[in-house]
Amino acid sequence: MKIYPYKRLNRPITLRVTSVSLRLPDGTRDRLETTAYSTQQQAVALGIAGHDDWSSATIGLSATLPPGADAPDAAWSDLRVLAVLTDGETNVRTSTELTRDTENGRDWSGSVEVLRDDHLGRASLAVYAVGTVDGVRGRSIAETDRSWVVDTVSDEPVRGLRLEVQKASFSRSSRDWLRVYADAPWVVDTSARVPTVFVNTDVEGVMGLLDSKGSGVDSKVRDLLVAQMATDVWTAVFHSAIGDLEVEPGSGPVFPTDWQGEVLREMLPDVVPGVHVEEALRQVHRRRTGESGWAELQTRIHYAAVRRAEASRALGYVIRALEQMNRESET
Amino acid sequence: METGEEFGPWLARQLKLAGKTQAELAEELGLTRAAVSAWITGRSTPRPTVMADIAKALGTDVSTVHTRTTDTRSGLPLTWYHRPGYPDGGRDLGNAAAFAFDADVQVLARETCQNSLDERLTDNGRPVRVRYTLHELTGEALDAFRDAILWNELFPHYSAVSEIAGHQKVGRVVDAGVRDMYEKGRLVLLRVDDYNASGLTGDDYADGKFAAVVRRQLESLKSGTAAGGSYGLGKATLWATSALGLVLINSTLSVPHEGRTERRVIGRLELPWREVNGEPYAGPAWFGRPDPDSPGARVVRSWWADEETVARLHLTRDSDEPGTSFLIVGAHDVASLEGSVSEGDDEITEEEGSEDTRDIRRMHRRLVEALGRDFWAAMTGGGGRLPLLEVSVRALRNGEEVVPEQQVDPSVEQPSRTRALRAYYEGATVDRLTEAGQVAARTVPLKLPLQGGARGTLGTHQAVLLVTEAEDRDGTKNQVHSLRGNRMTVRKAGVPRLPVGTNPFQAVLLVGEAAGESAPFAQEAEEFLRAAEPPEHDRWGQTEELTLRWSPSAYRRISMLTSEVNNAVRDLVARPRRGNQGGGEALRKALTVRKRPKAKAPSGPVIPVLEGLEATIGDGGEWQITAEVSIPKGDQVVPMVPIAQLDVRSGGRPRLEWAELVAVEGCEVQDGTLRFAPGIRSATFRGATDITSHPVRTSLTRLVLELRAGKGE
Repeated sequence: MKIYPYKRLNRPITLRVTSVSLRLPDGTRDRLETTAYSTQQQAVALGIAGHDDWSSATIGLSATLPPGADAPDAAWSDLRVLAVLTDGETNVRTSTELTRDTENGRDWSGSVEVLRDDHLGRASLAVYAVGTVDGVRGRSIAETDRSWVVDTVSDEPVRGLRLEVQKASFSRSSRDWLRVYADAPWVVDTSARVPTVFVNTDVEGVMGLLDSKGSGVDSKVRDLLVAQMATDVWTAVFHSAIGDLEVEPGSGPVFPTDWQGEVLREMLPDVVPGVHVEEALRQVHRRRTGESGWAELQTRIHYAAVRRAEASRALGYVIRALEQMNRESET
Repeated sequence: METGEEFGPWLARQLKLAGKTQAELAEELGLTRAAVSAWITGRSTPRPTVMADIAKALGTDVSTVHTRTTDTRSGLPLTWYHRPGYPDGGRDLGNAAAFAFDADVQVLARETCQNSLDERLTDNGRPVRVRYTLHELTGEALDAFRDAILWNELFPHYSAVSEIAGHQKVGRVVDAGVRDMYEKGRLVLLRVDDYNASGLTGDDYADGKFAAVVRRQLESLKSGTAAGGSYGLGKATLWATSALGLVLINSTLSVPHEGRTERRVIGRLELPWREVNGEPYAGPAWFGRPDPDSPGARVVRSWWADEETVARLHLTRDSDEPGTSFLIVGAHDVASLEGSVSEGDDEITEEEGSEDTRDIRRMHRRLVEALGRDFWAAMTGGGGRLPLLEVSVRALRNGEEVVPEQQVDPSVEQPSRTRALRAYYEGATVDRLTEAGQVAARTVPLKLPLQGGARGTLGTHQAVLLVTEAEDRDGTKNQVHSLRGNRMTVRKAGVPRLPVGTNPFQAVLLVGEAAGESAPFAQEAEEFLRAAEPPEHDRWGQTEELTLRWSPSAYRRISMLTSEVNNAVRDLVARPRRGNQGGGEALRKALTVRKRPKAKAPSGPVIPVLEGLEATIGDGGEWQITAEVSIPKGDQVVPMVPIAQLDVRSGGRPRLEWAELVAVEGCEVQDGTLRFAPGIRSATFRGATDITSHPVRTSLTRLVLELRAGKGE
């Protein structure tokens, strides 16, 4: 629980994205359709238009302060509203001041400039109302309770992080390192910006199976395959994330701010159930670096991965489909 | 001074009303019958001295004869005419049309407003103005009104109906209505006025709007091709809304009848079959002047009332602009009970309690809501185009304003749809949405079938689809509202198969004449869709008329339009499916990091959680905290270590040491660890941080308190 040493507004600020445009290398601007952002998911996908070479993006914003920000008896003065774009991977933080739409209104608007070179993947966008409290300038009086996610690469405005899927012929790929795995149907690369699954197109029919639609046995087998791959991926990303923790002397491991943090927050409740994720992280870290307990944890990590991959459901469907097929061939 | 009607027709009617012949008048005046005949046919007018004699003969004053704005009071007085029982002994226990509707002011609003729209005078280009007035009468005002409608004459009929009330619906409603008036000493009048409309024109009995409303059932007279069918089934809602089955009407005509236009008044009562003083009555009754031409001069007809009479009947109109006022006597709103649970908390409940179906404030609110929902499009103008309709609602009690007159503002009631239509009128639409608040426009084809069952297509009408971002006030998200020429929302439907995370939108489909005069086959589309509309005007689909005039499969053309519309909407608001970048969609989905339901808490020792925290900065600059802990049910409770930290933007949080840690209730402190007694569900402890462990000035920090299991590492 968090406590501020001064009076604040209780309710959060609401933030809406109103427009998105990209500046292209030739100096022109591409105004993206409103499908580039999702109000429900609170996410912006800058990769949606298929431009690989944009240099900066302008995101139009509108924020509504909770009631009371302008109260005459407020404990603060010099009210200002700032939009802050934070990137946990590159540690870039950009603030832009918003302007009030109408005098004494609660709506503020403006736009933030997203410079492509400042970001690797996902940045988060929040709005702060700040003022001078007890002579201290720039104290936060209210914030958005849920930040928007600005993804500079994704082509779909979804809030959840999407791990990448790529297909390649392992034996002939320009990625030399894949050749070693020419006989594997898929491998997971956790060293990339976002963990990536490479599917080996040398295995004939694998892509066809993965892309199969319909409701026949094919699709059940596809689901089982997907569950198998997903289990592998989740296990790999968890290990990768837990092996890469930054440790603060005296206070233990720090939650990563990039995809590793998202993966850990998602999986830790299944790995160490019943405790706060921060506590869970400390326990897992202790077991991994300490003398004992790491081996015992493997089952729980596997369980967390299987659950995410929905393996039991996929397996159940396949079994039922097979039973039905057998019955049909008997009659 | 008002200009009255021609002397001849006026005198003829006065004679008829008074039951006198031309010869009798001539005799009284000491003139020849030919002289009187010459006046009546308009060949001559009487000299001023004779006027006084005529006034005397008719039992009125000279000015009435001069101005001729009203009928004389001579002859038969205003009265109620109850239709006698059928000679074959048949009994109608209620009006079938009225029976179909429950008392619901929202349905009333829809039907009456639609009638007003259809009867709008189109030549002057101005909107039709409709006003709903809720007026609660009590005490003297109620008594005066009851006298005006000759309540004492009606009462035996209501009593007779009450006696049979137990057996059928209409009787029960009427019985409850009369009892409410006596027990609570009040009566709610709901008046619906329209201005700049045609008014109830035509003869009292022959075909015309007057007869359609007052004398007939189910007859629908449509003023134009776009009309929704005025004064048809819908007019029954007027009577259905009255708990007493009583509606009074005052109309100013756009086309003179009997040489007059203003204050044509009549009342109509809908009761079930009844027996009063041994006489059977069929059901309906009318309030008016006995018609000397009718058998025994018993049937009453409308009369041209004077200003005083309309005032006493609460029927005074604001101006001489044509239009009609309907006064629903004893209005009630049974349907309001359904929604009363979810109502806002800002409403002051009347002393009668929330189950009152005659609460004028609630009826007011429900009227505004319904009018905004159904008629926002008709109320929207833009681009030099005036709206078709202006509506206001007010509530009074004994003439005092309770809720001030409020004009229904479509941009408040339906902000995004109104914005869409306005942008279309102003030509400010875009092809694709790039900014919140924009309106995208598309044309969508409606292939019209050939009439008479022939195969093939008559032509393709281009409907206009408008899509814009939804606002919170619009109600259900992601809806398409479809309108025809009368701009009334006919169809409301959601768009299926939208991807998750689609930005909320509202769409408007303008079909037929609403798509603009220049749209191809607009009239034909209008006609086709009107035929596909049921009497409720709330959808398009298979109807008998459609089958008979076109073909049994004609309704499929509407399904095709719907799917075209849904595709167009999806194209505008949903992300286009990108080419497959490898890996099936299924795999990509499985690899999304999203919140899943947490794992079940394990059995074993339970872990207490922080429930509440209060913190202040002490005199020495230390954080002083009082924290509440809640403990889940369990046999064994894990000891917890409270950790005080300072919040930071990134990196690890600096940890503060405790100078003091004291148990207040439900726990004990040992070496900085909280231990909880079994069976206790909540605990409180107090603490103060060690100022020497603070890295910065305390007033510039944010405190984070956590409870950790184990050693607190």
